[in-house]
Amino acid sequence: MADVQDNRPGEEEEEEEEEVDDSSYKTIKDAVLFAIDVSPSMLEKPPKSEDKKAEHDSPTSAALKCAYQLMQQRIISNPNDMMGILLFGTEKTDLQDGDSTFQHCYLLADLDVPSAQDVKRLRDLVNNEEDTEGILKPAKEGASIATVLFCANTIFTTKAPNFSSRRLFLVTDNDYPVKLKADKDTAVTRARDLYDLGCTIDLFPISQPDHSFDRSRFYDDLVYPTSPSDPDAPVAIPTTTNVAKSGEGISLLKQLISSINSKATPRRALFTLPLELGPDLRIGVKGYILIKRQEHVKSCYVWVGGEKPQIVNSSTTHMADDTARTVEKTELRKAYKFGGDAITFTPDEITKIRQCFGDPVIRIVGFKPRSSLPIWTNTNKSTFLYPSEADYIGSTRVFSALQQKLTTSHKIGLVWFIARRNAAPILAALLPGTEQTNEVGDQTMPPGFWLVPLPFADDLRQFPAPPEHPLQTTDALRDKMKIIIEQLQLPKAVYDPSKYPNPDLQWFYRILQALALDEDIPDQPPTDKTVPRFRLIDKRCAEYIEDYGAEFTMALDKQRHSALAHRAKHVSQKRAGGAAAEAEHRKPAKRVKKEVNVKDEEGGAETMTDQRMADLNNSGQISKQTVADLRLWLGARGQSTGGKKAELLERVQGYLEEKGL
Amino acid sequence: MAGKEATVYILDLGRSMGEKRHGRDQTDLEWALEYVWDKITTTVATGRKSALMSVIGYRTDKTDLGGIMEEAEGYENIRVFSKLKQYFLGDIRNLQEHLKPSKTNNGDLLSALAVAIHMIDSATKGTKGNPLKYERRIIIVTDGRGEMDTADLDEMASKIKDPEAPFEIVLPGVDFDDPDVGYKEDGKEPHKAKNEYVLKRFVEDCGGNFGTLATAIDQLQTPRLKETRPVHSYRGPLTLGDPENYEATITIDVERYPCTMLAKPPTASSFVVRTDLAGVSDPSTESSATAFGEDHPMMDLSAVRNQRVYQVESIEEPGTKKNVEMDELERGYEYGRTAVHISESDMNVVKLETWQSLQLVGFVKAEKFERYLPLSRANFIVPQKANQPAQLGLSSFIHALEDAECYAVARFVAKDLKPPLLLLLVPRIEPEWEALVDVELPFEEDMRRYKFPPLDRKLTVSGKTITEHKDLPTSDLLDAMSDYVDAMDLSTFGRDEDGNEQEYAKPEDTFSPLVHRINDVIRWRATHPDPTLPIPDPAEILMKYSAPPPELMSQASQQLDAVKKAADVKKVPPKVKGRGKRQRTDRDKPLSGLDVDALLGNPKRVKIESSNLIPSFKQALLAADDIDAIQEAADDMAKEIRSLISNSVGDSAYGRALEAIRVMREELTELEEPETYNSFVKTLKDDVLSGKLNGNRRDMWWRIRGNRYGLVDSKRSAFSPVTEEEAKRFYHV
Repeated sequence: MADVQDNRPGEEEEEEEEEVDDSSYKTIKDAVLFAIDVSPSMLEKPPKSEDKKAEHDSPTSAALKCAYQLMQQRIISNPNDMMGILLFGTEKTDLQDGDSTFQHCYLLADLDVPSAQDVKRLRDLVNNEEDTEGILKPAKEGASIATVLFCANTIFTTKAPNFSSRRLFLVTDNDYPVKLKADKDTAVTRARDLYDLGCTIDLFPISQPDHSFDRSRFYDDLVYPTSPSDPDAPVAIPTTTNVAKSGEGISLLKQLISSINSKATPRRALFTLPLELGPDLRIGVKGYILIKRQEHVKSCYVWVGGEKPQIVNSSTTHMADDTARTVEKTELRKAYKFGGDAITFTPDEITKIRQCFGDPVIRIVGFKPRSSLPIWTNTNKSTFLYPSEADYIGSTRVFSALQQKLTTSHKIGLVWFIARRNAAPILAALLPGTEQTNEVGDQTMPPGFWLVPLPFADDLRQFPAPPEHPLQTTDALRDKMKIIIEQLQLPKAVYDPSKYPNPDLQWFYRILQALALDEDIPDQPPTDKTVPRFRLIDKRCAEYIEDYGAEFTMALDKQRHSALAHRAKHVSQKRAGGAAAEAEHRKPAKRVKKEVNVKDEEGGAETMTDQRMADLNNSGQISKQTVADLRLWLGARGQSTGGKKAELLERVQGYLEEKGL
Repeated sequence: MAGKEATVYILDLGRSMGEKRHGRDQTDLEWALEYVWDKITTTVATGRKSALMSVIGYRTDKTDLGGIMEEAEGYENIRVFSKLKQYFLGDIRNLQEHLKPSKTNNGDLLSALAVAIHMIDSATKGTKGNPLKYERRIIIVTDGRGEMDTADLDEMASKIKDPEAPFEIVLPGVDFDDPDVGYKEDGKEPHKAKNEYVLKRFVEDCGGNFGTLATAIDQLQTPRLKETRPVHSYRGPLTLGDPENYEATITIDVERYPCTMLAKPPTASSFVVRTDLAGVSDPSTESSATAFGEDHPMMDLSAVRNQRVYQVESIEEPGTKKNVEMDELERGYEYGRTAVHISESDMNVVKLETWQSLQLVGFVKAEKFERYLPLSRANFIVPQKANQPAQLGLSSFIHALEDAECYAVARFVAKDLKPPLLLLLVPRIEPEWEALVDVELPFEEDMRRYKFPPLDRKLTVSGKTITEHKDLPTSDLLDAMSDYVDAMDLSTFGRDEDGNEQEYAKPEDTFSPLVHRINDVIRWRATHPDPTLPIPDPAEILMKYSAPPPELMSQASQQLDAVKKAADVKKVPPKVKGRGKRQRTDRDKPLSGLDVDALLGNPKRVKIESSNLIPSFKQALLAADDIDAIQEAADDMAKEIRSLISNSVGDSAYGRALEAIRVMREELTELEEPETYNSFVKTLKDDVLSGKLNGNRRDMWWRIRGNRYGLVDSKRSAFSPVTEEEAKRFYHV
């Protein structure tokens, strides 16, 4: 019987093999319960306006749209995480379990991994202007906020009992939702119960045009500054919480989406480690993954034996091959293949072998100029580091001093890095990163250090053997190309990942959603932003590309001319051959095929002529010839036909050279 | 990569090799074997069938030519240990038995060499007697004290130099003089000196490698790198613009090869110790043997097979699972918790239609590019072989990027139907060659937008900015840090072969510690099968970059002291991390700082409510000011946990019970009352396993065990009398 592990990783993880570096990161599961206020003011639609930029959504509907977007997004980015939507203040009471303890609470989507039906129901509610089910009808007296919090408590306890991250997203425009002081006290206790349960309240306040939301009136007594699931995590900055103002500036929806997006995934540290600046000088840091390739879900087995297809879970048991006896994990031994046999070590020895490099640490070896970190040394993604005071008091100021120094001096640190016990030690660069903000002043990149893994000699591959005398660019040709490069700069001459959604991922989930909801499969892929803007390229650069082409033809002819003595014949013949010189730079790829075909046109001749081969050689197409053709050609000239293609090519070129072609 | 090779080791096993000289604590033979075993095990580790080898001993007690020579006369005291063949672990073990100093000093090295030449010669010949393409190598290890008949030395040299089938001779001699490294043996016997002279002239005449053993052993310290043949991952056009629909476009035919690729240590496979060491004829033992080649069955290990069981949630009985058969399973995907079934033939519908291409999207300024963005290894992009227009075109592009200080962004599809990627193309110009280097760029979905407070200023809750704070460095600290960083500069600390200054720890000078460590110990174990021997420490070179170079560190010690003083970092004592007996005043407060307990009138006793289990338990513990109150809260909690398990339909309430157990374990450990938890969990285990909690609840036990919610041991809490061993044993049923 295999051990069953729940979502919360146990404390004794030493035994686990280090294989995937962020496996532990993935096991942190997150449950988000969206609680949306349904009150007359929240339902009030902005005045109709012709202006496209004007507000179209009531606050409740904007919140629902946000929830809908977040739900779709989380299916992609956190397919195992839960989400639920609770409306409060509704006339209807329904918690999907027949219980009516929680008055005026309506569970639109139960807290669970979303199903296709949840997505559909939410979408219908968002898209239909008419509220067909009559859900969005406010109760006269509103819901008690204490009830809402207790309701959330119950939902989290029963549906996501051992999720390490549980968050209540509260969207409301009411900054004082009680009448009596006693009601406030109840709400305050209920909020603390939630905190003790390990749940966080994230407030998304909405200001009405005539009333700006004042957190200090009520909610500052309910919201806690630290997250119980990650008490050491740096405190979120309360002042940056956007108070969305309906009816002016950026639309309410956009603001809400932006502030919810920054909380879309709970922040979890990948590791907590000492950063050693020198002997006896250590500070505490935490590592975070901020950049990671988002893959789509892997295909899985689906059981089709029942009415509806069902997801299949599989579990593995180990069996001895000789006796088919079930084997416990502790009985397994590791063995390496060597010389046709197995070399074994005891588990203790394996531990000693792997852990001989010392304890997990980030140790600074010294400092180098920033230029010693060229891009070709990249081997993997970088990890973000931020200081933590949990183990060393004063870490933050030392970290900050180092970050400021390395930034101003354009330096990097060289560090010896062991991420975990059992992890392979690596060398990495400690690269300072500075804070970046957008036009509104919102942080887009946090300040800190990036740990950029460096390659060892073992990780460097040889450069493929360059040709003997490759053609080199001329200054004139380079300058023509430079003009094109300058014409085609991306906006602000930077690469901004947020401008490029992954087209494959988007398409995959669009199709999957259509299949899950039994809808027609869209036949047009959504706009793929990664496709170059050809029209723009043509508009901006056609003229410069023509220039480059002309220069290219000249440079090519000239270089070939100087490379071999007797060339005049060849060039003229080539011109006569019809392939317009100017077109050459445009579509060589297509021209290739034409030229290869010419072989047949020359009819009778069994093999192509020396001149034809010389032309192919000079145009660089000779390597496209098949081995069989080369052998035939060489054989016809009494040359040896043995060896690999590279050797054949050499022989052909040697032959041509001898002939002065 | 490597071609066929035939290597013969000629080992001097004479009596004189059994001596310990020059203060070494090994005999000369033991010392020499360090070199030989390293060479042999390195070859065996490759597992190459085309790497043939043999070992010949001379000055041996016995004579055994293994049928190589027709006549034995003149070949006395020479022993051929095997024919030329691929060596296996068994051969190594076998050889170890025999490589001992003999009782004689008779035996001629040059006769042994003749045997070796003849052996290689006949094994590397084609059917018509023509020499085949082989690397022929003879490695001689000797102390140079034997007698040699040098009559046919020239003849032998010309055979070795035969251009059709040349041999490479390597001779690391024990304590041989080597002016290249400045070694000269004190008090060398004249006879040895003469032999050295003869051998040196001979080996150098053959174009071989003559040296002293100490140097050869020294060189073993530098890890050997595995060479890999470059294989292209893309071969096609690099285009600017759309050649299908526009007139003015540029196309360059390129190929893409790996530039960096992480080397992986050898992987171990899982085995289980065999329980039936009975009959060899048992068919199942044969099948396990095949895993390692039939010649060398493993003695006491059996391969492990994985058996998968497939289950679905039962619709009829919620909370339970039922097994399903493999033939009722089809491919599909999960969309949230909905299963989407896609038949095998329709699998392509989820794929985006793409065509192989590398298209330029635009250009960015090099200085504005954030170095931490790339998330992949790097590749080279070079012109297609023997394609001159491509050479010229790519060269102009590389130089234009370099000159404009720009990088290119390109959309890349490796093969038709593969997902598109965005690549950054960077020029790289070296003295011998030039290329583009590419790395993958992140998409929008790949960025996690976490926010962190600024490091150079502090924002208060009310929105004010502060520049002086304990989390912000003082100007003293900034200055000290600046001096320290400058003092620890590595850019000129390294030395090249000629002693010139160069960058320290360049990638090409560093070796993957784990890769070489594991390879080293595998090879070590191959020649040291005795399980009582301690595993050796990692090679020095693998640890070289694990700390600052001591020389540099001592130069910078003053600056470091200044940083320490200005930084005033204090380690948090481990005791403070656990909260111990908590005070109400220490409790976390909401943003406003409101004292919630005071609001409730600081109750002395809090009752545990099943509907608010965990919060009320935590609050009860907090209110408790004596051990009885803690015990009472724990007992109430225990009751609730047991009732959760008893009333659970299937496993529906197990999650809640587990979470309650976790909180209880954590809180009681922190309150330094681990025994209260331990006695609870002991009873719980018994009751769960003996079916006292309303039926078969064994699954619950597997979950407790899987999450490691067993006994709190003394490692976790100093107040626990439970040993680690005891805690481990607790998990066994």
